[in-house]
Amino acid sequence: MRVASPLRSYTGGVATVTADGATVSELLADLDRRHPGMRFRMIDEQDRIRPHIRLFVNTTAVESLGMPVRPGDTLHFICALSGG
Amino acid sequence: MALSADERARCQRHLSLEEVGVAGQEKLKAARVLVIGAGGLGSPSALYLAASGIGTLGIVDCDRVEVSNLQRQVLFDSDDVARPKAAVARERLLALNPAIEVVAHDLELRASNVREVLDGYDVILDGTDRLATRHLVNDACVLLGKPLVSAAIHRFEGQVMTYVPGRGPCYRCLYADVPEGLVPNCADAGVLGVLPGVLGAVQATEAIKLVLGVGEPLVGRLMVYDALELRFHEFAFSRRKDCAVCGDRPTITEPRDPPQACDAATLARVRRLAPGELRSMLDAGPVLVIDVREPREFAVDHLPGAVNIPLGELRERLGEITAGAEPAFVCRSGARSLRACGLALEAGIADAVTLEGGMLAWSAAS
Repeated sequence: MRVASPLRSYTGGVATVTADGATVSELLADLDRRHPGMRFRMIDEQDRIRPHIRLFVNTTAVESLGMPVRPGDTLHFICALSGG
Repeated sequence: MALSADERARCQRHLSLEEVGVAGQEKLKAARVLVIGAGGLGSPSALYLAASGIGTLGIVDCDRVEVSNLQRQVLFDSDDVARPKAAVARERLLALNPAIEVVAHDLELRASNVREVLDGYDVILDGTDRLATRHLVNDACVLLGKPLVSAAIHRFEGQVMTYVPGRGPCYRCLYADVPEGLVPNCADAGVLGVLPGVLGAVQATEAIKLVLGVGEPLVGRLMVYDALELRFHEFAFSRRKDCAVCGDRPTITEPRDPPQACDAATLARVRRLAPGELRSMLDAGPVLVIDVREPREFAVDHLPGAVNIPLGELRERLGEITAGAEPAFVCRSGARSLRACGLALEAGIADAVTLEGGMLAWSAAS
């Protein structure tokens, strides 16, 4: 998984992390075990992707957390940036 | 719009390009491009657009040049510190290319003036440092039918996308909304000085392509640049049928100012403590100190016993503050903790206080 710059405070500054799961939802759950609090920054209490966050499996936008992933896929976390 | 002999000589390398030529250069001369934000992104994009012979350039910025801008805002020199950015940018761009028109818009874009400012320009480049302004500009571009090239930067990462009316998704299709304060700005998070040079040059490239009608714009594609790994990633995204401004049933039909995280009256009620006052409070007994910086910043240094709740999580985690507690909010400079206090006051936590000047002031006073 590739982590957007504003979220790397949860991964010790690391850009690429790994997690296990067969769906985006499972990956996020595993990710949160490894980096507590990170899922909540991206997903709200109703399991919706927050409006300033976009997830992509490889280059395809994630619209549902049930989206399946295969071994070797890359899940990208993209976050709105404010700097100019 | 015919080219003068000087313009032909100046843009000879453009004239040699089959994709530009005399006809293309005349299109550039007739074009009107608006650069919003004369900052890290606006500096390189405006310089390249002026050098390229864009006939009319507008520059929107209400700030003055600060010495900390000079690390990346290459429109400005050391002598320009404290001068208004829009006016200095105009001088600099006209010095680069006296044949063009440069309009300095020394103002803050709001719902009340955004139509008037954008009207008359053919292409809009957004390089502001506020997410709220990005949505305002996007909405205005959709409503006015203007192409928009939007870019943003953070630390070592940059993003850029292009909106072309009727051809693909808008910025709000990508990010539906962003509560202010959720994403740290350059002042809080830092930024590599050369980073906006790359993104601003991409924005200028897109503007020139749109004017010329050549190539393939970044429509429906988000380009993400990672300077540390020197990689460009590209992600496809589509127009959202439920987009509030360009969707099938838009709810935004006029530009609107974003709801403030807290209104000015609320912020005016916040009790602001000097470092000495907070120290006295801490000495007098237990105080619930809530540090609203990011975990990475918190890990470097924090007040003894402080609890870390990043500002972006605070709204959802206000319930963790026990009834009757008098939380003292702390951050790097006092900006985020002030917003945190506003959120707490609005939630009925009446005795919230903020450390004025943040950890910077605390360290200086220690």
